Amino acid sequence: MENAIEVAELTKYYGDLLAVDHINFDVKKGEIFGFLGPNGAGKTTTIRMLTGISIPTEGTSLIMGYDVQRQSVEAKEQMGIVPDVSNVYSELSAWDNLIFTGRLYDMPRDFRESRAEELLKMFGLYERRGEKVQGFSRGMKRRVCIAMALMNKANILFLDEPTSGLDVQSVLIIRDLIRNLNQQGLTIFVTTHNIEEASQMCDRIAIINHGKIAAIDTPERLKRTVESLQSVEVAFEKPPHDALTSIEALPQVSKVVKEGDKFRIFTKDPPMVYSSIWDYAQRNQLKLITVNTLGPSLEDVFVKLTGIAPATSKEGNNETSRGKGKDKKRSK
Amino acid sequence: MKSMHRSHLVREARVAWAVTEKDMRTYYTRPPSIMFGILFPFSLFLSFSIGRNVPLAAQIPVLISQTLFFSSSSIGPVVIPSERANQTFDRFLTSPVSLLSILLGKTLAGIIYGVGISVIPVVVGIAFFGSSISSLWALIACFALSSFAFSALGIMFASIPGQTPGQVMMPLNFVRIPLLFISGVYTPIGELPMLMQLVSLISPLTHTVELARYATGGEAFFGPFLNIAILTAYAVVFLFMGIRFHIINQRKE
Repeated sequence: MENAIEVAELTKYYGDLLAVDHINFDVKKGEIFGFLGPNGAGKTTTIRMLTGISIPTEGTSLIMGYDVQRQSVEAKEQMGIVPDVSNVYSELSAWDNLIFTGRLYDMPRDFRESRAEELLKMFGLYERRGEKVQGFSRGMKRRVCIAMALMNKANILFLDEPTSGLDVQSVLIIRDLIRNLNQQGLTIFVTTHNIEEASQMCDRIAIINHGKIAAIDTPERLKRTVESLQSVEVAFEKPPHDALTSIEALPQVSKVVKEGDKFRIFTKDPPMVYSSIWDYAQRNQLKLITVNTLGPSLEDVFVKLTGIAPATSKEGNNETSRGKGKDKKRSK
Repeated sequence: MKSMHRSHLVREARVAWAVTEKDMRTYYTRPPSIMFGILFPFSLFLSFSIGRNVPLAAQIPVLISQTLFFSSSSIGPVVIPSERANQTFDRFLTSPVSLLSILLGKTLAGIIYGVGISVIPVVVGIAFFGSSISSLWALIACFALSSFAFSALGIMFASIPGQTPGQVMMPLNFVRIPLLFISGVYTPIGELPMLMQLVSLISPLTHTVELARYATGGEAFFGPFLNIAILTAYAVVFLFMGIRFHIINQRKE
């Protein structure tokens, strides 16, 4: 068996609303698989069906070959789950949270105690094991939650937005942990809003939008699917106030986005744009301080496939729409 | 094969007990448990019983029945909506154990709570008001079956998809409070008109009151064996309806 997760025609209706629309995908053993999509795209609904919390309207999902609906006990023994909210028992101590999780998996007492000790030490929580979790910071609760998911030595770890809303230190600890767990052979299924995080961590990524899978591939291959989104990044020492409009008017420029002190110029022909930019700088006596060619980012792929602008700067969004307006004019 | 089946059952029982223990530690002292499980039945008893020309010893079965009824049925509606609100209920749904064992564990938490509180009126009645137990088996059946049926009733109502105890307690009280008036709590069944007697037959509380009266030397209008049969049937029906409703929720969620 090569696949850790196999999903076939998985569908979920909430009344008349189709939240997940006949999706199909496989996750290979030992992979970090990212599930990316805008809010309401169906990410959490999918993870809830895969973990047995929610019953699908149609379709099947296999976890290590076990049907989540028909062989739920066997399937659930294979997985650890970290939901989007740290669902720890606030009234219990960190130690008791882990021990109770061990009891839910019917782990023998000696094993669950040694595993709880091992995990609390791994997460830097052993010294505070006797304290009630309600006094813990958000990052610490998240670590307790992940430790609980690892209690049963699962083969597959599901993480729903694991770093969302955490401080930088906790984010770095969790990302590092995910990579380490994966190196130990654990299959990771992670949903995230953070495109850069997905790009850096995941072996493969599925982009879901409106309940449908828009694309599945490695981050690099996904980027290559949108070669038309090549761009040139330039920065001038003292750009004139009309620089944006002037650059937009240059040949072969399809769109210009101002990103901080830089201009990102989207084009199908970067060499031609280099030449035009050089001429423009000479003409206006401007000093070029940065010139870079950029390939499409995963964010570009995401925007292209979902049609949704990511949460970048307001300014950037405004420029994007300006660029689109220009395209429209050109097509006339 | 037989030993595999037995080890599976033992495993399910161990997990169910883990759920019970956790609920006992976490929820018994929560304000809604104390409010609806202890203060509510005692204040109802005082409101309707004080000042009546009935010896206190004769009112002990009424207090036993009310505490069994309210205490046992209050734990599920406190525990499950709270767990739903902080998503800890999902932990049970993702653990490798059947929904039956999870809900049985939660039902047992209600049973222990109800029995623990309802023992107090028995002890007080014997120690201070001259009550006596004339049928220990009837008292045990009353405690065991009533607490099971009422705890399962609470679990069944807790399938209402609310996230606070109040969202479940309110509809539950729409059922619990009218039952007080048709179950022979304040007026013995024999004194009710024929139609009301038939109505009281279908109330589970009637059979708790009857068994409690029978155990303390009184009479059971429908007879203790019918009381036991009906309470057993209600316990099973409430438990399985609770499971059914929770599965329906999983389909909707």
